Amino acid sequence: MPMALQDRAQYLSLALFAQKVVSALTEYVDENRRAKLKPSLSEALESLSRLDAKRPIVLPHGRLAALTSYEHLRTVEEVWSAKERSDAIKMIRVLLRSASRDREAKPTAEKLIDLFSKLQDQALWNFEQPRPVSPKVMQRLCQLA
Amino acid sequence: MPTGLADVLHDASVLHRFVDFIGEYCRQQKRSQTYVGSAAVFFQYVEQLAAGIQDELRREMERATRGTPRLSTLRRNMRTYRGYLRLLHALIKPAADAHSLTIPGPLVDLASQQLQKVDGMTGSRLLILLTTEFIYFQRPHTDVKGQARKVEEFIPGASFPPKLGFIEIPYSQGPSFFTNLAIYHEIGHFVYEELSNRNPPHAGFRSLALVKDRCLKGTFNRRSLVHTGTHNAIRAGRNRQALALAERMLENWTQEIFCDLFALRLIEPAFSFALIEMIGMLGVSPTQLLRFDPDHPAPACRFAQHVKLLQDDSWWSEIQGLQAEQRQFLQESASIPTRRYQFFVDENHRGPRRLLDAFVTDLTPAIRELVCQLTSRAAPSVERFRRTRSDIQGSFRAGVVPLTDTSDRRDPVCIINAAFCFYLTAVPDVIKRFERAGNENNVTVHCEWKDRVEMWTMKGIEDSQVMQRYKDVRRNGPF
Repeated sequence: MPMALQDRAQYLSLALFAQKVVSALTEYVDENRRAKLKPSLSEALESLSRLDAKRPIVLPHGRLAALTSYEHLRTVEEVWSAKERSDAIKMIRVLLRSASRDREAKPTAEKLIDLFSKLQDQALWNFEQPRPVSPKVMQRLCQLA
Repeated sequence: MPTGLADVLHDASVLHRFVDFIGEYCRQQKRSQTYVGSAAVFFQYVEQLAAGIQDELRREMERATRGTPRLSTLRRNMRTYRGYLRLLHALIKPAADAHSLTIPGPLVDLASQQLQKVDGMTGSRLLILLTTEFIYFQRPHTDVKGQARKVEEFIPGASFPPKLGFIEIPYSQGPSFFTNLAIYHEIGHFVYEELSNRNPPHAGFRSLALVKDRCLKGTFNRRSLVHTGTHNAIRAGRNRQALALAERMLENWTQEIFCDLFALRLIEPAFSFALIEMIGMLGVSPTQLLRFDPDHPAPACRFAQHVKLLQDDSWWSEIQGLQAEQRQFLQESASIPTRRYQFFVDENHRGPRRLLDAFVTDLTPAIRELVCQLTSRAAPSVERFRRTRSDIQGSFRAGVVPLTDTSDRRDPVCIINAAFCFYLTAVPDVIKRFERAGNENNVTVHCEWKDRVEMWTMKGIEDSQVMQRYKDVRRNGPF
């Protein structure tokens, strides 16, 4: 049975999350506007840092936070390697610290645009072509308890 | 034309035509139908969104024409809007179909009024959807609302209406009454989502979340979740996904029990009977009765929780003597030991037993406590039911609508419960009394009388609502 459209909504929310980051970065690179940069990158940094914590953290209200649901995690694992994830964190930190005329900042922002565009693409792909929960993950769930 | 611009233009025109159609569709529905609830507010949102996306498309095309190198970003964003519109698309038609001639208006009105009295839910509104699915589905509408908030950042003119709950009714059940009592469960989902996701969350839901957190931490061996180094990266990724799934399962079960108990507190045992009627129509085998799946707790567990709450609220003694198989089913389900419950993650594979045990032992009492905090005390309504039950049932026995007077003796919830008990047990007696001999076992005759009991009940509720409005007007000013 095809997965209900509503159940796939999580993928779409990840696509919107990535779009927000890409949009803020693009405004900065193309138009030198930084207004949306800090809030968007801070949210992304918080979500990614949570993801890369040594120990997974259970969030009481995780449903609305980015990168907490199974669909979000699955998509991130599919599209980014562990190195790319940690690179993304480093680049976000660099951008958050950088001044507006920092010459290094824009190339870094371009790299981040590429990474988050890939994430948005994969999230949209999963929204359009979703697959059931991976049996290996389900198996792991049963082993962990 | 620059390379790629033709593709952007094509995508933009496809999206433009799509939003143009759904905006116009909503305008037409508002003009041609009358709706109970908040369909007009929802349609208004869709119209604003459609106009906002068209404006955004115009802006994006201007940028594209100026020669932006980011044509692929523009196309990707259009795909994202299209995805969001697909979600709304699935809601618009069911909302349009649920006009006042196809749904039980008095019941929806009653539910809306009751909802206003729930702590934190004042000002909330219901949007009824007539669905092609047979069951009253749990729909994760929070996701749609969450996305609407994100879309609003790009399309600022379109704000999703606050405190709007989506309630789905199977189209075949629209005109019936008793099975539609299951909408109270749906309202429970709305309340749960609103109060747990609001900022800051309701204190009761915060406490519940902490209990849930303890359950998860207690169930999963934390040491096994720690994996570092490249070699273990895949395993760590799987662990994260597995834990997210476990959290969702616990959340799903919690919500289901919350919604059942919430519905029970609002319309009392009539909700249990309605749910049993629905489950009876869907068909549940003895094995399924005991099974938890990733989305739902086992029906036996749900009904055991019903009985516990009915006992705590002194309702159980009122219905214990009811000679109906629904009451018997409730009692039997409640007496099944919890160790017989099973948890399957799919048709063949068992899920972690410890998660189920933690849920039953630690979470269900916390859910009961939260529901009782949010809803009013049941004792006065039991007392009213005790006093008026035989009068109300006397009206049905005489073949008339229960009388409404200016006292509070026949409040709608009393009428519903007395009527449901009558519907389950006394229809054969009425048939014997009013129909000619030989019709006792005629299915068509039974259906006609059951329809009549439902219509009288609905009329009784409508009358009591009119009376309530009259009393409010008298109380609040000159008539």
